[in-house]
Amino acid sequence: MTDQLLIDTAERLFGDVCDFAAVEAAEAEGFATDAWSAVAEMGLPWIGVDEAAGGAGGDLVDALAVLRVAGAHAVPLPLAETGVLAGWLLASAELTVPDGAVTVAPGDPADDLTLTDGLVSGTVNRVPWGSAVNDLVILVDDGDSATVVLVDTASATLEPYVNLAGESRDTLVFDRVEPLASGPAGDGVDADALLYRGALTRVMLMAGALDAMSRLTVSYTHEREQFGRPVARFQAVQSHLVTCAQEAAIAGVTADAVMRRLAHDEARFEIAAAKVVVSEAATKATAAAHQAHGAMGLTKEYELHHLSRRLWAWRNEYGGARYWSQVLGEAVVDVGGDGLYPLITGGSAALG
Amino acid sequence: MRFEATELTDAELALQAEVRAFCDVELVPGTYEPGLGMAGSVDPGFSRKLAERGWLGMALPTEYGGGDRTAVDRFVVVEELLRRGAPVGYHWIADRQTGPVISRFGTDEQKERFLPAICRGEVGFSIGMSEPDAGSDLAAVSARAVRADGGWVLNGTKIWTTNAHHNDWMVTLCRTSDTDDRHGGLSQLLVDLRAEGVEVNPIPFLDGSSEFNEVVLSDVFVPDELLLGAEGEGWAQNTSELAFERGGPDRWLSTYIVVEQFLRECEEEDLDGSVVELLGSATARWFGLRNMSLAVARMIDAGDAPAVESALVKEMGTRFEQDVLAALERLVGLEVAPGSESLFERLLAAAVLTGPAFTIRGGTIEILRSVAAKGLRP
Ligand SMILES: Cc1cc2nc3c(=O)[nH]c(=O)nc-3n(C[C@H](O)[C@H](O)[C@H](O)COP(=O)(O)OP(=O)(O)OC[C@H]3O[C@@H](n4cnc5c(N)ncnc54)[C@H](O)[C@@H]3O)c2cc1C
Repeated sequence: MTDQLLIDTAERLFGDVCDFAAVEAAEAEGFATDAWSAVAEMGLPWIGVDEAAGGAGGDLVDALAVLRVAGAHAVPLPLAETGVLAGWLLASAELTVPDGAVTVAPGDPADDLTLTDGLVSGTVNRVPWGSAVNDLVILVDDGDSATVVLVDTASATLEPYVNLAGESRDTLVFDRVEPLASGPAGDGVDADALLYRGALTRVMLMAGALDAMSRLTVSYTHEREQFGRPVARFQAVQSHLVTCAQEAAIAGVTADAVMRRLAHDEARFEIAAAKVVVSEAATKATAAAHQAHGAMGLTKEYELHHLSRRLWAWRNEYGGARYWSQVLGEAVVDVGGDGLYPLITGGSAALG
Repeated sequence: MRFEATELTDAELALQAEVRAFCDVELVPGTYEPGLGMAGSVDPGFSRKLAERGWLGMALPTEYGGGDRTAVDRFVVVEELLRRGAPVGYHWIADRQTGPVISRFGTDEQKERFLPAICRGEVGFSIGMSEPDAGSDLAAVSARAVRADGGWVLNGTKIWTTNAHHNDWMVTLCRTSDTDDRHGGLSQLLVDLRAEGVEVNPIPFLDGSSEFNEVVLSDVFVPDELLLGAEGEGWAQNTSELAFERGGPDRWLSTYIVVEQFLRECEEEDLDGSVVELLGSATARWFGLRNMSLAVARMIDAGDAPAVESALVKEMGTRFEQDVLAALERLVGLEVAPGSESLFERLLAAAVLTGPAFTIRGGTIEILRSVAAKGLRP
């Protein structure tokens, strides 16, 4: 499916530049400048973005594969934001993607941004790395038409916030600010599409993180000894390992299913289902992983929390399990008893 | 351990369409009493209709009447049957595991004798593994066969033997010699359930039904030609048989039909936010489990032996069967009557009463976790 070489390259690079210390430093300083430079030099943030708009080749599926690897390494960078989200929005509006890191306003329900007389006013919430990145893309969707707006974060008043993982998720307030660029969003690009695409990025990051967390838990419990043997030898501990592995597996396989479908078609059902599965997996697997680690898993010096805190944060970004379950549940009610199994097997294809 | 999602090929999708069309005609709602997945009722006539289509023994060799098709093809067929609660009871065990085991370990003569009949839906098999003192610890079986002129004389008691009262044969795990290694000295015999010395006693289930039995074997003569595979290799053969038993759609679809029937019968006002949310989250989980299970079938077709992966899927699939039921039961909050006019209520009642079995039959979740954990090494 995806170029193995690309995955290996990302694996090696993230392993080098996003080690334990780098992730800690990024949380303390707000941004991992060196890691960003290294990753940007390889072009990874712009995979899948239209080359005409300044992309780096590859397709969306390649970009998603890189996000999975990034999730496994708890990479503290706006990777999903720069290419898969901002690059997509800008390209759809035939705007050029700026050189550096770019972020995107996720479309928080409390946002009240308006575009009047070509000027931007109002608030956007939970902007990833809003305090560290200069370029911010906002999709202004009034229900009738959607406009892609590129603004300078320096032109906003900023209230800094962080999510559970210490990643900045800032509030930016604009008051009659002139955008750097703007244009009507392309076909099919609206607030709803952004929500699906944002959820898609979180699915990939989380599938990677769950897999890494499962492997970390297996190795720790085989090293740690109590009662004269590795704790992994206790049946009760094994059951935690199995829970982690199961949740990582179901997350991974649903992420795969999304990627396979996206390679040739739209994947709304698959994305919604995957976000439910992966968000629920995050809850179950983090509990089991922490339990199997004992106190060590709760210390700042041990890496488990780089993964578990991200999973706790990401599970509710771009809609949590409950939101997406409702979306799917409404689709189920629409298709009714006769249509339910064809929906489970056919996914988006069954929705027509 | 890696599960990789796979999509059905055009040929597999065509097969799916064919099975759906068949079911639309043969399984018209209201004309049969649906069962809970593999606990579908026993109906040899229905089994033969499947056989006519080539949907029994699909993965068995064509020279013995099989279809020489793939595990995925079989998956595509059985998921459609299970989700409709089709009457699969007569052929289920033979199709799922006895056929493949005979095909793998049987003599030419045994293949000749049993496989075409399995593919035609003319023979039903039971599993004779468990005993009163050998449950999870199957190597503790004490049924014993001793050499006799031209065969074996078998004594012992098997228990929980599903459908032994309907079936014709039982693959019986028994001791044929004593060895220091407790996994040694075991063999599998093909026992005619109508042979002299075989007594099948029903064990009433907690809901009053009797689908499983005690099978008492008293000096049953088993001719040499009915020793399956090699003498003393029973444990290894049995283990490979268990791999066929696990990981398929029968391990996550048992309660699907309860939800589907709820959707058919519910009124607009039953569909509040919590119900809609449950429908959505269950659908997402079915989607995920199906992808895992399909990945296992592809691994089998690729020649792998995904024993650990199957155990992992079965453990989580069977728990999910119970979880979705518990959640739905809670939301509808009905005082269900097993004899209700509503099919949904009847299915719900059956599922509540038999639900605990899902995580016990075919190996308990505790045992499966131990099996799965063996695959989790640094
Ligand atoms: C509906 C149904 C149909 C069945 N059909 C058949 C059939 O057709 N043929 C057949 O041969 N068998 C059949 N069985 C039997 C089934 O295979 C056994 O019930 C199962 O293997 C468990 O054995 P047991 O019931 O003796 O439980 P036990 O082994 O007595 O277990 C009791 C409890 O102890 C736990 N336990 C036991 N050992 C361990 C351990 N080492 N570590 C942790 N926990 C442990 C178990 O998980 C369980 O919770 C059927 C069972 C059911 C419920």
